[in-house]
Amino acid sequence: MIRHTVGRLVSTVVIALTLALFALPMLWLAAAPFDASPAITASLPQFTLDNFAAILDNPYALGSIRNSLIQGGGAAVLVVVLAALAAYALSRVRVPGRDLLLYLLLLLSSVVTGTAAMVPIFELATRLNLIDTHLGVILVVSGGLLPAAIFILKDFMDETPTSYEESARVFGASPLQILRDIVIPLVRPGLATIAVWALASVWGGFLFQFILLRDPDKAPGSVILYTLYTEGGSPKLDLISTFSLLYSLPVVLMYLFVSQRYGFRFHGGIKR
Amino acid sequence: MITLDALTKIFPGGVRALDAIDLTIADGEFFALLGPSGCGKTTLLRTIAGLEIPTSGRVHIDGADVTALPPGRRDIAMVFQDYAIFPHMSVAENIAYPLRIKKTPRAERTRKATEVAARLSLTELLLRRPAQLSGGQQQRVALARAIACHPAAFLFDEPLSNLDARLRLEARTFLKRLQRDLAVTTVFVTHDQAEALALADRIAVMSHGRMIQIGTPADIFQRPATTFVASFIGSTPMNLLPATFRDGALHVAGAVRAGAPGLTGGDDLLYGVRPEYMTLSATERGDGIPGTVAVHENLGTGVLVTLEADGLLIQAVAPEGDEPPLGTRRWAVPARSLLYRDGRLIA
Repeated sequence: MIRHTVGRLVSTVVIALTLALFALPMLWLAAAPFDASPAITASLPQFTLDNFAAILDNPYALGSIRNSLIQGGGAAVLVVVLAALAAYALSRVRVPGRDLLLYLLLLLSSVVTGTAAMVPIFELATRLNLIDTHLGVILVVSGGLLPAAIFILKDFMDETPTSYEESARVFGASPLQILRDIVIPLVRPGLATIAVWALASVWGGFLFQFILLRDPDKAPGSVILYTLYTEGGSPKLDLISTFSLLYSLPVVLMYLFVSQRYGFRFHGGIKR
Repeated sequence: MITLDALTKIFPGGVRALDAIDLTIADGEFFALLGPSGCGKTTLLRTIAGLEIPTSGRVHIDGADVTALPPGRRDIAMVFQDYAIFPHMSVAENIAYPLRIKKTPRAERTRKATEVAARLSLTELLLRRPAQLSGGQQQRVALARAIACHPAAFLFDEPLSNLDARLRLEARTFLKRLQRDLAVTTVFVTHDQAEALALADRIAVMSHGRMIQIGTPADIFQRPATTFVASFIGSTPMNLLPATFRDGALHVAGAVRAGAPGLTGGDDLLYGVRPEYMTLSATERGDGIPGTVAVHENLGTGVLVTLEADGLLIQAVAPEGDEPPLGTRRWAVPARSLLYRDGRLIA
């Protein structure tokens, strides 16, 4: 009994300490933007809203959030549309070597990272006149996200019984009607997951955006964050923390919205 | 009317699921495809539906050759084993979906869906989602959706197998009445011989992609064409006993029975009697098979008695409360017997 209590106590303390370690950066992000002189420690702020005024004065700050939305949203739409079509086809049509193809794609996309492929991608983007365009960023990041997206969505598609589609086919529905009326509504939680994941990946992505874009007017927030340093090279913590907070908000809101709408809902009713 | 003409389906990998099937199903007929799993019955149904493309042969529905037509243009409706009711649509939307595909105006669609739903007592459930329905209600929604498209034929894949035993009997009666009222040609697949006997006007018994016997339930129950059908049909398996014909009489496990007219000599015969048609005699009889009572199985309205006779097991159904005690000697007297040679019915 005593051993049990001591065990519970020790495990609770360990969990509390671990949680505190992970909570500290969040605390800093919540406190520093409102602090007149933020440091790299989390402390009770001397409350001020000046930092927000300062960041709004930065010529690129607000525009960069818009750029992030264009690039992240564009990539999310492209990834969801292409991955859904590819996953549906791969799930329903017998292609010889289909699984091998999927695993190879997944393996290559995680082994050959953006950094390793940066030079040829830059060369390709230059020749296609895609340097310094939103489209260039969207195409390159979508390419990197597609294999994993197809892989995850194919799992969702595999779990949908084919009898739904066959039933619609017998009633005379065309393949596009089946996709629109049956398949997409059924895998909607999967599509939402992929969209959130794609947008969040692009939102936090830095390297491609940094290299493919020249004009700071087109740079996303993740790149603009990198410019918030003094001439001497030391970070302006007040601006960085404030911008970080502003920059995180859209993603957090989107996550909450999607989770509330699609999170953990199960369809179906018949035992299989 | 559905006509199948030398229909053959060979799957990639060489499995011959259908082997030159010829079949005519009359207008308004309730037709069962019966067989053990893997016999090709579901493939046959799916080929009629157009969900499988036959390797060779033709399918005609109401006189038109539909072999090359996609499922949607064959004027059929299919109810799947899992019912395939769309989980993201309400009952009303599900029933109206075929009409939506046919571009029926919305008002007309709603009117028809409500009408069909009323007929299947689904009116209270129109706004529910499939997940909120019981198995029996889901089955009725699937039927309503099929009826709403007014097809030339219904195809049912194991329509009752997803229901629990008690509900299955209710649904069986309901289905039979519905089919009779609608008088639409209906083909259904089942592995349950009782279901086929109870529902169908005619039954096709299938095995390994071939039709073994086609006939009315009475034909198939009383005169199974092969020993395969004989052992497959009936709630208790038929007794199939080795028999010899010599000196104008049939010798079956110690009993001497009269031979059938035209029977030639040989010891390669199988003598078939259903346990329901066996009576047990307590006194010795020359035309009875002697044995010792080994097992009782209560069937509710009777008792299935197993006699042991020189290594053979013979089953007979004794009336309720009238079963002979275990270990006593009895003579099983057959009635309505059948004779098989090389697995085929000869008398």
